[in-house]
Amino acid sequence: MHEFSIAEALAAQVIKYGPAGARVRGVDMKVGPLRGLEPEAMAMSWQAVTIGTALEGAVLTIDQLPWTITCSVCGRSWESRVPFVSCECGNETPAPVGGDELDIVSLTIDEEDAP
Amino acid sequence: MTEGSRTVKLPLAERVLEANDEIAGVVRAELARRRVFAIDLIGAPGSGKTALLEATLRALTEGTAGSAAGRHRPAVLVGDLTTRRDADRLSRWCDRVVQISTGEGCHLEAGQVRGALEDVDMTGVDLLFIENVGNLICPVGFDLGQNVKVGLFSLTEGDDKAAKHPYLVTAADLILLNKVDLAPHLTFDRGLFEEDVRLLNPKVPMLGVSATTGEGIGEWLEWIEWGIARTQGGAVA
Repeated sequence: MHEFSIAEALAAQVIKYGPAGARVRGVDMKVGPLRGLEPEAMAMSWQAVTIGTALEGAVLTIDQLPWTITCSVCGRSWESRVPFVSCECGNETPAPVGGDELDIVSLTIDEEDAP
Repeated sequence: MTEGSRTVKLPLAERVLEANDEIAGVVRAELARRRVFAIDLIGAPGSGKTALLEATLRALTEGTAGSAAGRHRPAVLVGDLTTRRDADRLSRWCDRVVQISTGEGCHLEAGQVRGALEDVDMTGVDLLFIENVGNLICPVGFDLGQNVKVGLFSLTEGDDKAAKHPYLVTAADLILLNKVDLAPHLTFDRGLFEEDVRLLNPKVPMLGVSATTGEGIGEWLEWIEWGIARTQGGAVA
């Protein structure tokens, strides 16, 4: 369950990079397919890590990036949620390539209007 | 949204594990300064990580075809959830073994490695094994400051484990397949296993070993020798 460690690290980064004193409503992150991150476990961990803190209630949105499958036989390339798939040309072993992104993309915050 | 405020989206581009990566960078720089070749050994519970290290340390102590006795000075950091058993086993063959108790943690993080390195006499050490917590998923994404990651699989786990753990296969600099001595008793399809590895990581070297019989340990030591030589030459990042 590496999601808990990741949630802890994420909360620390949100505090570090978020504007001081701003109410954080949402956190958007993107995750490459290599990471094997479980969205449900991540959501649960995020809730556990943020409860009782300034980040409590901030909604975590996870953009799960797909694998890119490339067929060396017909040259076709496409995106897939799973790494091992057959190509429509009949090749049963096209190559999966995935990234290991684990990044914060944006924060949604309440910004005080200038007085 | 409260009165007098508005909701805005603030774009960021920050790595979630930045703090871990920064500590790993410090560890990597320190190990490079000391010219230590550091191996992060990752494998499932029961794959034989500790047994492999026992066989490796024994070979380094007693000398084999791949390495002259006493030529290298290894140290070991061993991550374990709760027990000292792995460290006790390894201490038979090496004086410089440090246990990292992770409690409920399923992987090592760079800060734990940095802390453990303060507890071991690194004088003259040219080879560092970091035995990660038994787990094929969680440890892979946490940089420890190592030079290389070695993915350890074993015949008893089944031939589908490379396909099911693409991050480790992709990130590994060497894939070891342990317990090859058990092949006659198992239905493990080594061709299928190696094909899955090749699809994910076309260039990674693969080596069959047996920590029990010593098969392949000589080649494993040769690979380690190569890594030490490159580190001594300052070529390994």
